[in-house]
Amino acid sequence: MKEKRSYLGGLMHGIGTLLTGMKITGREFFTKKVTEQYPENRDTLEISPRFRGRLTMPTDAEGNNKCIACGLCQMACPNDTIHITSESVLNEETGKKKKVLVKYEYDLGACMFCQLCVNACAHGAIEFTTEFENAVFDRSTLVMNLNEELRMKN
Amino acid sequence: MFDFSIVTQWIHSLLTSFLPEEVAVFIECLAIGVCILLAYAIIAIIMIFMERKVCAAFQCRLGPMRVGPWGTIQVFADVFKMLIKEIIAIRHSDKFLYNLAPYIVILASIMAFSCLPFSKGMEVLDFNVGIFFLTAASSIGVVGILLAGWSSNNKYSLIGAMRSGAQMISYELSMGLSLLTIIVLTDTMQLSEIVERQADGWFIFKGHIPAFIAFVIYLIAGNAEVNRGPFDLPEAESELTAGYHTEYSGMHFGLFYVAEFVNLFIIAGVAATIFLGGWMPLHINGLDGFNTVMDYIPGFVWFFGKAFFVVWILMWFKWTFPRLRIDQILTLEWKYLVPIGLLNLLLMVIIVVFDLHF
Amino acid sequence: MITIEPEKIHKALSDLRAEGYDFLRSLTGMDWGEEGLGVVYHLEKTTTGENKVIKTITANRENPELPSVCDLWKAAEFNEREAYDFFGIHFIGHPDMRRLYLREDWVGHPFRKDYDDSLNPLRMTNEEPDDVTHHYEELPDGSVIEKRDVLFDEDEYIINIGPQHPATHGVLRFRVSLEGEIIKKLDVHCGYIHRGVEKMCESLTYPQTLALTDRLDYLGAHQNRHALCMCIEKAMGIEVSDRVQYIRTIMDELQRIDSHLLFFSCLCMDLGALTAFFYGFRDREKILDIFEATTGGRLIQNYNTIGGVQYDIAPDFVQKVKEFIAYLRPMLKEYHEVFTGNVIAHGRLDGVGILSREDAISFGATGGTGRASGWACDVRKRHPYAMYGKVDFKEIVRTEGDCFARYMVRMEEILESMHIIEQLIDNIPEGPFQEKTKAIIKVPEGSYYAAVEGSRGEFGVFLESRGDKHPYRLKFRSTGLPLVSIMETVCRGAKIADLIAIGGTVDYVVPDIDR
Repeated sequence: MKEKRSYLGGLMHGIGTLLTGMKITGREFFTKKVTEQYPENRDTLEISPRFRGRLTMPTDAEGNNKCIACGLCQMACPNDTIHITSESVLNEETGKKKKVLVKYEYDLGACMFCQLCVNACAHGAIEFTTEFENAVFDRSTLVMNLNEELRMKN
Repeated sequence: MFDFSIVTQWIHSLLTSFLPEEVAVFIECLAIGVCILLAYAIIAIIMIFMERKVCAAFQCRLGPMRVGPWGTIQVFADVFKMLIKEIIAIRHSDKFLYNLAPYIVILASIMAFSCLPFSKGMEVLDFNVGIFFLTAASSIGVVGILLAGWSSNNKYSLIGAMRSGAQMISYELSMGLSLLTIIVLTDTMQLSEIVERQADGWFIFKGHIPAFIAFVIYLIAGNAEVNRGPFDLPEAESELTAGYHTEYSGMHFGLFYVAEFVNLFIIAGVAATIFLGGWMPLHINGLDGFNTVMDYIPGFVWFFGKAFFVVWILMWFKWTFPRLRIDQILTLEWKYLVPIGLLNLLLMVIIVVFDLHF
Repeated sequence: MITIEPEKIHKALSDLRAEGYDFLRSLTGMDWGEEGLGVVYHLEKTTTGENKVIKTITANRENPELPSVCDLWKAAEFNEREAYDFFGIHFIGHPDMRRLYLREDWVGHPFRKDYDDSLNPLRMTNEEPDDVTHHYEELPDGSVIEKRDVLFDEDEYIINIGPQHPATHGVLRFRVSLEGEIIKKLDVHCGYIHRGVEKMCESLTYPQTLALTDRLDYLGAHQNRHALCMCIEKAMGIEVSDRVQYIRTIMDELQRIDSHLLFFSCLCMDLGALTAFFYGFRDREKILDIFEATTGGRLIQNYNTIGGVQYDIAPDFVQKVKEFIAYLRPMLKEYHEVFTGNVIAHGRLDGVGILSREDAISFGATGGTGRASGWACDVRKRHPYAMYGKVDFKEIVRTEGDCFARYMVRMEEILESMHIIEQLIDNIPEGPFQEKTKAIIKVPEGSYYAAVEGSRGEFGVFLESRGDKHPYRLKFRSTGLPLVSIMETVCRGAKIADLIAIGGTVDYVVPDIDR
């Protein structure tokens, strides 16, 4: 344990420790500051490619997405964030009915970025992007229609 | 060195040339009052800005950067926001005292502020018991703080106010003792006179050891006196949310806030005046050329330079140390600062009696 | 698991207590449906590390009554209140049978399988503060009566610290009765961030439950998830590869450093040293960057999965971690210079809030708090898991039990964690980072318990499965609940400023208490 110090010894020791602390802060006063000036440093901002910003549907070179409207992502989601509407379309050539995606609704406001939907998708039809500036003024804008976005992009 | 009293004399003679004496003095008083308030506000703004930047630098940050270049307009924006905010009245509070408290605090602060000699001939209140008046005026502030805590009808506020009362009244003592040490050396309490006596060397050099000890005690006690870290427990934000001014909003809060910062400046200003020679330039005996050059620098630059340097040191204290506990604060005062201050006073008396100072 | 009837349970448990089972690891309320309601006790002998699991069932669903074990383990006090809150089990002899998390005007007990959700619509009115509690007492003739007690007298000077208060690190509320500056009595109110995680888990599939564990103790996200994954893997008999074990261990230790740095920062802030706070956060940022590169998350990482981890480590992970360790060592020295050595910090922490070893064990206050009181309670040493059995590290134990000891234990643990990482980082073996699992994960019937050393103590997972894809009951042994339960004992007689220092060094995280 600590030894008992005399009155003056304690005083001197106390002043010594205080000066040690002041030496450190005094040194930091002149070091380079670590503040990141966010909106200005957008170009140099480092974001890991694995960062989960929001869900998107990636496209291949022709602008097609691989979604087959199986609904596994919808089932995997713990928060009911994803709602898929699909319809059956008759394929003229084969004569078989095939499910086609009509609407892929994704509620960013309810998403907790657990990645279960991406894990569930066997076709790589959805993925997270690093886009993180998702603030909006109205809650309802957070409900996104992903395949509509896709169409707009094409 | 330029004597500012030439300007004041000229204004006085100009006014008396076409006005009766009483009216002229009245107008002068009004003008000085406005100037003091203006200076008070400007100092407050500079202090708040400085606090934010200095604190940021100690913490590896940049501080305000958005409003204006390097955030210089930030404080103006804050003041503007404060002015347009609603002053909320608390139910079950003692309305009269609740509204009175911030004005007592600001009044005490302005009275003390008016005592500071900014430059040669630029003193507002300057009479033979200057220091005495200054300490008396500045300690009225504690009444305002106690009233604020009591009338808010808030338990946090009350605890904060009680802490503040105990602390400020205690530290008044060692502050007085350290000022007394220098008064022993100067045998005057008039602030302008004290500055004049430091023409051949500042008291911190002239009074050597006891003056230096007195300076350190004064800084510690002064820091405690204005409730700043590490003695900020009346408003210890991690314990009592905001202490005695928890329930204040808008400009009423603003008055407490401004008074706190200007009080810090006053402490620094008094330290500069009494220990570091006030507006008196740095003179070294024998180096006449150097002394003449120093004399070309105007007095108020010297004064503000020294005062802000002391402010910077006090900020360095605040942003380095953890907060003390109430019993530790009182221990520090009554077991360390007061006995040391008394011994120091004795030492100074001996030095003065045997003429051992420079 | 041994089943004992309610009539004999108190006798049996006090015999076990006398035998040396002094640590109540976990007390779990249960609803077994037809069989009735009951409690599962996890006991441990601190001297030998032996474990026993006892359960008791009462068939009476209308008015379930069980004897309280508060007199044997102080940890039971809060845990029985939780069981009362969730299952409506009356514990006879418990001194303070209030709800722990839910509102006083809550109707019914939500964890019962027959609970009707519609009874509790969203209430827009304020909860009426009530200074009255009640307890159940057994009369000599065997009948049980309810007695009312007053918590605080009318003329006591009571201040509320929290739920919105800068020093409670979240929405925890203390009601403190003061005599001047001295604390006479302290009453803890939990539940302001109660989200019903355990209840939610009962309707989620196993992979989905994982996402919630990160949100309990957000400074131990990796370790919490590690515990749940371990528990499920143990139940399903999945063996994860060595590579996964290495990665998990390294991540756990990084998370511990992260948490302890935040502890240092927040303690400094609580004590008014705001500058040191920024130094800690500046350096913690570097760990978060490492996390982000590998896991994609900074605070909530979602990294461990059943049978592996989400991603393989990032290509520059090894190099970044090494750089970070090299960077942190001189920084730790700086912390010690600016804060630890400081005479004011010593004055605020030395001899304040002393927790005795007996109390630490009885309350089950594990982690740095327990180790500062001289109780070697590190799960990594008691029940080694992952790579901990194979690496060399020292368990930091101090005997003073005061705030300074609690602080120093954590600061020294940062060094130990760095030591562990250094041993592992260079030889992460090759192997798959994810074992193949079935598409739908079903855990075989039975009950399982797994524990890890979280950032602030033992984090345990008790899983009861009926062979479905949902857990039947999932209980998290919170690291924080025992820590707040010691507050009353430790703070009594201290000053308000000490309450802040004690709260800071005990280092609880509120979402972990409330779940």
